[in-house]
Formats: sequence, structure tokens, C-alpha cells
Amino acid sequence: MFERMLIPTIENRITVGIFAFLATLVLLGWAAINEGGRMKAFEELQHARAIEQGAGLFATNCTRCHGLDGKGLANFGPGLNNPQFFGHDFFPEITEQINSLNAEKVGLEAERSLVSTTDARKSEIDARLQIIDVQLSDLSKERDPQLQAAMDAGYNPQQPDRLASLGWVGTRDAFIITTLIHGRPTSGNYWPNGAMPAWSQTAGGPLRMDQIEDLAAYIQNWDKGDEWTLADLFAVKQFAKEPVDGAPLLILIEQLQASGGVLPEPVGTDVAAVLTSLEGVTGDPARGDALYHNQQTSQLGSSLACSGCHLQAQNGVGPMTDGTYTRASTERLADPALAGYTAQQYLVESILLPANYVVPGFNNAMLQDFGQRMTVQDLADIIAYLETMNQ
Amino acid sequence: MSVLPFPSFLDDVKEKGIKRAVFELVDESVERLTAGMNIQDIREALRGEAASRKPNPRLQPHADGFWLHMRPSYFHADMTGLYPTFRLGWLSTYFVFFETITGILLMVWYTPSPEVAYANMLAILSNVPMGQLVRDLHRLGAEAMVLVVALHMVRTFFTGSYKKPRQFTWFTGLLLLAITGFLSFSGYLLPWDQLALWAVTIGASMIEATPPQIVGDNLNLLIRGGPDIAANGLLRFYLLHVLLLPALLFVFTGVHYYKVIVHGHSLPPRKENIGEDTAKRVPLDKRVYFIPDVLTSEIMWLAVTTLILVVLCIWFYDAPLEHHADPQVTPLGTTAPWYFLWIQGALKLGDKVFWGIIFPGLVLGSLAVWPYLDVTKSRRYADRRIAITLFLVLIAFITILSYMGLAEFGVATSPEIEIFHEMTFPPAHSHVGKLLPVPYEQLVPGMYTTRQVSAEDGQESAAVSAFNTEIDTLEVQTLTGPSTMEEMMKAEFEVQHLAVPADLNFSVVPADAPELLKQLEFFASRLEREHVELNDGWGTIVITQNQDGLRRVDLVISWNEVELENGRPVMTADGEPQLVVNAEGEPVRRIVTTHVFIHEDGGYFAH
Repeated sequence: MFERMLIPTIENRITVGIFAFLATLVLLGWAAINEGGRMKAFEELQHARAIEQGAGLFATNCTRCHGLDGKGLANFGPGLNNPQFFGHDFFPEITEQINSLNAEKVGLEAERSLVSTTDARKSEIDARLQIIDVQLSDLSKERDPQLQAAMDAGYNPQQPDRLASLGWVGTRDAFIITTLIHGRPTSGNYWPNGAMPAWSQTAGGPLRMDQIEDLAAYIQNWDKGDEWTLADLFAVKQFAKEPVDGAPLLILIEQLQASGGVLPEPVGTDVAAVLTSLEGVTGDPARGDALYHNQQTSQLGSSLACSGCHLQAQNGVGPMTDGTYTRASTERLADPALAGYTAQQYLVESILLPANYVVPGFNNAMLQDFGQRMTVQDLADIIAYLETMNQ
Repeated sequence: MSVLPFPSFLDDVKEKGIKRAVFELVDESVERLTAGMNIQDIREALRGEAASRKPNPRLQPHADGFWLHMRPSYFHADMTGLYPTFRLGWLSTYFVFFETITGILLMVWYTPSPEVAYANMLAILSNVPMGQLVRDLHRLGAEAMVLVVALHMVRTFFTGSYKKPRQFTWFTGLLLLAITGFLSFSGYLLPWDQLALWAVTIGASMIEATPPQIVGDNLNLLIRGGPDIAANGLLRFYLLHVLLLPALLFVFTGVHYYKVIVHGHSLPPRKENIGEDTAKRVPLDKRVYFIPDVLTSEIMWLAVTTLILVVLCIWFYDAPLEHHADPQVTPLGTTAPWYFLWIQGALKLGDKVFWGIIFPGLVLGSLAVWPYLDVTKSRRYADRRIAITLFLVLIAFITILSYMGLAEFGVATSPEIEIFHEMTFPPAHSHVGKLLPVPYEQLVPGMYTTRQVSAEDGQESAAVSAFNTEIDTLEVQTLTGPSTMEEMMKAEFEVQHLAVPADLNFSVVPADAPELLKQLEFFASRLEREHVELNDGWGTIVITQNQDGLRRVDLVISWNEVELENGRPVMTADGEPQLVVNAEGEPVRRIVTTHVFIHEDGGYFAH
């Protein structure tokens, strides 16, 4: 029977062929209709497998510093199984109220220090500031005792979102992955047991990129969304440490050693008092030049970098440097708002309280904190330098 | 008079009317496209009627057309049935085209780089509509093609079709078999998963054995693109897979087909007189014309075979994809692809050069020259007892060698490692470690011991509390010094980064976790079977909640170490295994652990 064609008649062959062809099309169509669900299911399954792989990698590589449960180890590494890491705020209304009160406070304080502010307005502001302080203290009292256990471990209730307080604008996944790839090369400065090493093979570590992604999937799997409880927060054994710029401290220490124990003081913002103390100090225009152009830091270790905004021979964000003294002593003093000022007084006030008077045509963009970042000597040197700008 | 300065369609319309002119235009186009058959001819052919005009238009496409110039215009009726060809040659060609088409579809989504190849596979499976189906079809087609081509060769041998004048056709067929094997093998590496990396590593290490060493070393370097398979090796395998080997395959398929035209299909042996070859002298009443009989048959089989493959891939077959390739982790029980298992099995017989290179070379070489050695005239089975016996012996030998190539055969692993592997290995082909398919909700966090299973009925909880007391109190000699079993276990957990309570407390498996109990029973039975080498052994399963939806399962085996010689326990005179003892003469207690993480959506138990 096998020695002739299985289907001897041509019309039956055509029928079987057409049937098989149509059945294939129907099956493919049926498979196509189900593809959406199948692909989604596969993705979920693959995500679960990635978490399993990541769990193994975490146990082997990460638990020594981040803890067996991912809640961190004191002075080794911060907790990742941690509401703060996932940006969960337990008291969002209070955080928001405190933020808006603080913003109002800064604004009022700036307004109060303006020369143009009337005494009547000043006392209004003082009254409001008092109320704000009471409200701030009340809000803190309402919230902080409930978080005390975490605050003792270094939790800052006003910074409930680790990524936001770092100014990270990418996704959390990208944050985890980039951190894993290159580690935190300088974090040994503020973690006593060493820095976070680079883990990716591209950065000299042991892991492949797919393993880094598996680890990130595992770490992300700790996220409880809105289900985080205070108990979770209190279980965290170590919170992230904010790096501190050590350079100013080192300079202060050097100064302290050099002066035999007397710390340089910031010049402050009391213009009248500053003018008096400047009389006893000789300015060095060369050092002022260096401070102005950021080639040297102030005696308080701060980079002043005036030339970043005040370009040499053309106007930038601020007026140009060339001719500053000439313009101060002629054009500015001619302005009725500055009646009775000396050129030096004008320059000092412009540095320490820049918002008091803004040169027409420019915005109030200058930082307000130079009084805290320089000493009398630094100021004298800069004024001496500016006095040479008399083109 | 023409409306245009040359004879044109418009003249036809004017002359014959639009309907007739259009019909004639279409008819003529069809005749040109089919190289000789007009609409009426096709209609007659499909109705199974005789051709109504002469010369027979159904022979024209063979003479004038490209597509059919490689097909005979008629077949001998005696070889159009299932016997003697079993359609295997046609099926082989079908798979050449099937694999080319599915392969081109997959190429669209694939980049041959270790950085992205595996991610590409995941994307094909999770993000490309019909991606999984096409991949399954390509993989199943590849495995089927190796099988079909090999069977085609077997059939050709049995019917003696390799004999004069078809010796060279046989030789090209053997080349095609080898190319098919290497095509399938080179595709193995491309997904860049563990299965791929290690199967290919084994295959490439056979090439490395080629003598003399300088040739082997350089061949190995050439194929792997470095000492180990990495980016270069992947790219080379990819290029072999999509360029060089398909090019060779197409060339030799052409040669093979041309030889069939030249010599015709050999008839069933008993249909011819001994020494005659009548394939090209088909009597008129025995002719089965390609058009329409064979053509309709082939198109029908094309549709039916495709339907079968689609059905298999939708419901019954998934191409395997294991974890990402990791040169640091050698999975236990790695084997070459099944069609190379016979070489892997041969390697276990001894010398790598002889069994890995010379022996396969001899097999293929003697098959290649066989038609020139076996010059007897008769193709009938009864006259070819020696040849057929030799061939059956070869098939039997290769089957046995393939079995020996399996990981189960003759690879000595320590029993504790083997037990761990059986219980926890990740999905490979259609297998998975026994613990992984336990439903997530039955993996109840807790600590369980095999003592529960070995206890008498009703004595389970007593046995478990006895075990709790035993590990607390009984002091044993470990490799590092005396310790209680509990301390020994806790030290091991610490090494494995597992957080456990200060006091280990084992309990009975909850009644609502029958699957877990079943695996604990399996665990106990495996320990029992290895009781000689794993002397006084017990095992524990420790399940902990690692994250929401993620549990960690730790397996522990502890036993008294036994003296081993060549991988087998040394026995004392009274039939007991010789225990390893420390300086004080006390037996040394060993402990090993392994662990897996199981996610509730891991889907191991979905199948």
C-alpha cells in the first residue's frame, strides 16, 4: 500500500492542501490574537526570574555592607529596603507645610534686610516671622517624636526622598544601575569602612550588565509603594550619609593651626560695622585679583568666583569688571537711591547685600551669602582690586 | 491601420473588443510566467485531465523555465509512493527553505554581540509579536532537519541507491548531512545562554583535539576567536550560521538536485533486474508527470508539514532558553547537542584524539567512499547481507555511543552535589530541579528535616523534636574542630549569607504543603540511596521569606566523611564504609549547603 501515492486523486490532494493551508492561517491568526497576553505573561515571568537571579547576587556580593535583609549596616552601607530610598513620606502634609513656611521665612528675611524697607513693614515682618517660628516648631513637635527612632539613626524627616534630596532627575532604576556600575569612588571619605566599589565589568568590577540589571530588579522589588509602615522605617539600621565638602574644613584647620587657635570670622552683613573694621585693614589688590578670578579660596575656604558672572570687558549676568570703580564713583553715586553713599560703601554693600540695589538693566541674581564666605581681609583685598578697575 | 505607429494592445481592443483583448493579454502573460502553460492548460492539469494540445504544454516549464529546470518532468510510478523514499529528500529541501525563511525573520531582531544577544532573545520572546512562535519553529525545524537528513541517508543506504551511477550524489548528500549538523550546531551558540555556551564549548574542545597540537590549537583559536568563546567567537558562529554554511548548503543542494535530474530517482530494488538502471527509461504507462501529479502532491505536503510544525510549536514545543551565558559557572550535566552526543560518548572511551577526531573522521570517511568500495551490482536486500549488517552495526554503535554521551553515563560527581543539582537546577530543555515547581504557597517558611520522613508513621513530630535535641547537644568533629551540629549548621548559613534565628528550630511540614513534603521525601530517598558514601547522612530544607513574593530555599546535607578511592567508598572487612577520622580517631562530620530563590511569579509550576 505504500508503493503508490498516499492520496491518489488530484482533487483530494488539492482539498487536503487547501485545508492544511487554511488551518495554518487560522492557527497563526489565533496565535497572533493571543500574542499580547502571552508577551505580557512572559515579561512578568522574566521579571520574576531576574529578581531570583538578583537575590542570589545580592546575597553573595551586597549583604556584607547593606545587611542580610537590605536594611543597612551601621557605618558599612545604607539600607536599601528603606522607605526613604523609595521616597515614601509618612507625613507629606507636614513636610509640605514646613517647606512653604521656610520659603516664606527666607523671603521675609530678605525683604527685611532691604534698605528700602520701612520700619513699619519691618515690625510687621518680625511679627510674622515669630508666628512662622511657632508654627514650624509646632509642626516639628507634631511629627518628629513619631519619627524619633529613625532620626536617632540619622533620618532627616524633612528629606523623605533620597533621590530628590540628591537632586537625581532620572528614574530610580537608572539611579541603582549607575550606582552599581561605577560605585561611589569617593564615598570612602564619609563611610568609615570603605567606599562602594564599582561592580560592572566595564568599570573594572566583577558583574556583567545583565547581572547588574538583575540586581536592580531585586532591589526595586523591596518597594512597597504606599504600604510602607513606620516599623519598616525604624527597622532601617543605617540611612544614607550626605557627603560633606571637606576642603573648607581643612583650610579652617590650617588657619587655626597657623594663628595659634584664633579662627577667622566671616565678615557678616552689617555694612556700617564692616566699613569701620575695613579702616584697620590694608587690602592687597593682587590677592583680591586671585580671589575675584577664583584662583584662590577665601580665608574661610570658599570659592568666590566673582568673574563667573562679572566678565572682564563685557556685561554678562552681572556688569563687566572693567571700569567698576569708575562707574561706582560716578554713575551709581549720582543715583538718588544711593544719595550720601561713598564709592567704598556702595561696593561693600553690593557684595554683602546685593539685593539692596540692583544696577538698572540687570536682574537680582547675585548670591546673598558672601558675608558668610569671606573675612574682612578677603573683602579688603577684593575692594583693593576693584579700586584698580578704574578704566 | 494601427492607432499607434506599432502593433499594440489598443489595436487588439479595436479589433476584438475589450473583453477578448484583455483575456488574451492575461492568458499570454500567464503562459510567459509559467514558461509554457496558459490558463486552459493549468485548468486541465488541475482537473486531472489530459493535455488538450500538442506538444504537451506541461513539459514546457521544465525545458524553458528556471524553477522547474531542476525537477524531472515525470517520475517513475514505482517511486511516487511513500516507499521507497518516505519523502525524506523532499522534506530535507523543505527544511532548507523553512529554516531560511524563519531564520531571516529572526535575524531582524538579533545582534551577534555578547552584550545584547541574550537581551535580544528576551525581546524576541516578550516584545516581538509572534517572536516566540518563529523562534520555536526555527529551532524545531533545525532539530527535525538534522533527523530528516540523517534518515534520508539511512534510507539511501538500505535501498542501495548509492550504487553506480549515483556514487557522487551520495557523496554530496553526505556533505549536506555534515553541513546540516554544523548549521544546527552553529545556531546553538547564538542565544548566548548557558546551554549555548557550554554545548559549544564542548563541541569546540573536540576540534581542539585535532592532531598535531599546533593544528588543533590554531583551529580552536580560529573557530572560537580567542582562548574562550566570547565576542569574537559569537560573531564567527553567527557568520558561519547565516553566511558560509547556508552558502555551502545551497551550492551542494544544487549539485545534489542536478545529479537527481541526470540519473533519475532509483527505483525500489526489486523493480529492476540486477545491474540495470532503468530510472531514465520509464515506460509510457509508468510515467507520473510532475505537472500536475507530483506538483500537487508536493504543495499539499508543504501545507501539511507546515501545519504540523505550527501545531507542534503552538501547543507542544518551546525552544529552550536558559540563564545568560556565564563562563564562570559550569552547569552540571552539560552535553553537546543530541546529534553530536555520539562523539561525546566516544570521548569517554579513551584517547581524545582517536575517539574525538580520528573515529568520527573514519565513520564519515568510510561512508563517503563506501559506494566506491561496494561495487557489487545488486541493489536487492538479500544480496547485500554484509553491507546491511555492517550498517546496522554502525547504527547500533552510534546509538549506544549517543547514550554514553549523556551526562548520566560515567561522569562521577559527588552524591551530595548530584542531589543538590537534581533538586535545584534551573530549567534546561524540558527539565527543572524538583523543588522549583513546588507551588509558592506550599513553600511555607520554616525548617524541615529528612528525619521526619524516615520516621515511622505517627512518629514524625517525635522524630523532629529528637532532631532538635540532637543538633543542640550532640558534639561532632568538623573540619575545623569540635562543635554541635547546630553551630556547624549556623556557621555554614553565615557563609551563605542567610539570616537565621539564634536557636534553630525544626518542625513538621504543614499539612497544607503536600508538594513540599513530597520533595522532602525525595530528598530523604536520595540520601538513603547514597547511604554508603553519605554515611549517617541527614538533610534539611530551610525556607525563609526574603522579600515580598520571594522566598529562599536552603538545602543542607550533613554526613560522616568516607574514605574514597577512585571516586568509590573504601569498604572495611565487615562491609561497612571506612570513615575518615581526625587525629583523635573520631569520624569527621561534613556539611554542605546550596540555595535557590523562588519568586511567586517564577512560573516553574505553570507547566
